[in-house]
Amino acid sequence: MTNIFVAICILSFATTTVAQDAASMDAASVMAMSESAEADAASEREQFRSLDKDVQSLKKEVLDLNRDLFLLEEELLFPANSQVAFFISMDVGEYFDLDSVNLKIDGKEVANYLYTEREVGALIRGGVHRVHMGNIKTGDHELIAIFTGKGPHIRDYRRGATMSLNKGIGAKYVELEISDKVKKQQPEFVIKEWE
Amino acid sequence: MALLPHQSRADGKKAEPTVVQDAHYGEVLFYFYQGEYFPAIVRLLAAQKQSQLESHEKESELLLGGLYLSYGHHLYAAEIFERLLADNVEPEIRDRTWFFLAKIWHQRGYLAESQQALNNIQAELPKVLEAERNMLQAQILIDRREYDQAIAMLQAWKDKTEWASYAKFNLGVAMVRNGQVDAAAKILDGLGNLDPYNEELNSLRDKANLALGYAYLQDGQPHAAKPPLQRVRLAGPFSNKALLGVGWADAENHNFRRALVPWMELRSRDLLDSAVQESMLAIPFAMAKLDSISQAADHYLNAVEAFYEEANRIDRTIEHIETGALLDEFLGQDPLETTGWYWKLEQLPEGPESRYLLHLLATHSFQEGLKNYRDLGYLRQNLANWQKNIGVYRNMLDTRELAYEERLPKIEASLARADLDGMVGRKLEFDARLNSIEQSGDTLALATEREFELWGEITALERTPALAADIPEAQEVRDKIKLLKGVLQWELDKEFKSRLWRVRRDVQQTGQALVDTQRSRRNIDVTMRGEPLMFDSFNARVDGLNPRIEMLQSQVDGAMGRQRAFLQSIAVEELRAQQQRLNTYSVQARFALAAIYDLSATVGDASQ
Repeated sequence: MTNIFVAICILSFATTTVAQDAASMDAASVMAMSESAEADAASEREQFRSLDKDVQSLKKEVLDLNRDLFLLEEELLFPANSQVAFFISMDVGEYFDLDSVNLKIDGKEVANYLYTEREVGALIRGGVHRVHMGNIKTGDHELIAIFTGKGPHIRDYRRGATMSLNKGIGAKYVELEISDKVKKQQPEFVIKEWE
Repeated sequence: MALLPHQSRADGKKAEPTVVQDAHYGEVLFYFYQGEYFPAIVRLLAAQKQSQLESHEKESELLLGGLYLSYGHHLYAAEIFERLLADNVEPEIRDRTWFFLAKIWHQRGYLAESQQALNNIQAELPKVLEAERNMLQAQILIDRREYDQAIAMLQAWKDKTEWASYAKFNLGVAMVRNGQVDAAAKILDGLGNLDPYNEELNSLRDKANLALGYAYLQDGQPHAAKPPLQRVRLAGPFSNKALLGVGWADAENHNFRRALVPWMELRSRDLLDSAVQESMLAIPFAMAKLDSISQAADHYLNAVEAFYEEANRIDRTIEHIETGALLDEFLGQDPLETTGWYWKLEQLPEGPESRYLLHLLATHSFQEGLKNYRDLGYLRQNLANWQKNIGVYRNMLDTRELAYEERLPKIEASLARADLDGMVGRKLEFDARLNSIEQSGDTLALATEREFELWGEITALERTPALAADIPEAQEVRDKIKLLKGVLQWELDKEFKSRLWRVRRDVQQTGQALVDTQRSRRNIDVTMRGEPLMFDSFNARVDGLNPRIEMLQSQVDGAMGRQRAFLQSIAVEELRAQQQRLNTYSVQARFALAAIYDLSATVGDASQ
């Protein structure tokens, strides 16, 4: 299974292969460089490498800082005892072309998200979008999710899904999955929850 | 959760779908698939720290490596791959990963690392990548001046794709550099006659012809130089150099009139090109050879003037570059939304610098340096945003702490008023009382208020002295009272069990409510004890992160300054070289002009 993920990561490289790079030496540089020109090029390369290493290490530090800040932000704004997160995912998506998702908790609208083509592409490829993160009290709540888009035969399609959810003490995650009901040739909207 | 159909594999195979089990893992993929590597990495690191990727532990580490690679964070990507690719990874994937690392490292000038990554590849890659891998290997060998090995490798090239043409070109390059000029000429000649079916091959054909033509010129074979130079397309990027070369080939053959044809064509072209500059000297040189002395003098004068103006423009451009504005203009119209290795400056900004530096952008060190500069700009913006947010968090924490301190006394007072232990005691008393009622069958204890009053009235009537008289009227009343009492007792007996059940249920519910209340109370106690600790912890984190942001801001600023200076020095060096060339040409033109004037003066003196 692991192979697939490395494949995903590196596939995009394959598509960026630029053939011209292979013959990057232009006519003027067909002849070998003079010793002084070569020394200059080596010094330039060395300078670039030294700077590049600095940039690499700075990137690492800023990424670590971002991780810590991201966690701080989440814990501060959405403490675990009231945290609830809603995720949108897609399984295949042949019968439904997603436009937007509207979420209501206890009758109150909390999210109305319009998807770009690029985002829908990412969902189809297996990405999961956190459409809303918020705070709710412990106890029972009602969730209404309305999906709009194009259904089979490119017709406008609007479907709602309702569920009651119980918020306990820990963080609550709810996944709204759009999948295909092959037999009926219709999309299906499944809501799953876990803590 | 969602399946992953990976249909875009380079080798055309469809990858097996896999199941995303953790939403947080899928969230990382959501950003990754949109090419937003930075947020994807941050989310992945955060989810790893919170142990939210348990179902994808190893995959997530590999994904992180892939994300680092895409983000151009190649040294850290390599660390991960070195750790993880050794085992449990399909050889094909492992080899492919090493190949892409080799490619990045080569572009960034890490030649030894690039070679090492290529050495780690153990089997053949998919066809399209295998050709590229071999080409990369050959380029590294040429870069390291190991020409014999490069030649052997390129001579053994087998495929018949367009890669074979590039291989031939590089073979020619390696041979020329290795001193095998004749052999190289054959190779380049073959390439220069190929029938191109796309722009890339057209360009390669031009390059080969140009290289071959100049090789012949340098070798003193002007006759041989002309055909390949004439095969270069007139409208292509190598046209100027080819026209200049054709002119020189004719001039070498003392056919100056013919030489003027391509050189005059160059006159109308952009003076930035060194071939055009050189043609400005070549034209009067040929005219002088053709005895058109006054025309030659005019052309030399024009050339001196043009070179002077151009050198001044370059001066101004150098000054502008040295103010540091150049890079910001380069990146000015480019949104910092994406980062990473794939980014390339596609469009040059308008301005005099762009035309001078156009070809700099084609060099790896400038492009890669620009990428780093741009990435640093992204980091700077990212840090500035966080610094603003940290201020907001600081206020938020202060407000929360204040609200907590204000509410605390009120909550404590209301908690003190609520005698939970007393309530529990009373509940236990109720339980005991109910048990005793049940055991003794005390139906009256569960009577309604009305029934209880009736019972009292009846028993009071029973005790009335007048009713004790032995007369028929008293007997009649006693019978009625007895009947009433009997009816009431019957009612009480009948209702007793259901009343007992209801009361027990109510008491039980009260007990449950008391348990919940006690639990809530414990939670409140825990929260009240924990809240100050939580505030302390948040305060410490916020206070600790702010200096980290500031420190990194200063480091990023420093790195940006160094990167800017590096790029500026490359640009200025390039411009100085252009200026130096112009100065040399200018001196040559003046010298030739002086010679013409001397000659005219001598001829004039002689005629007098």
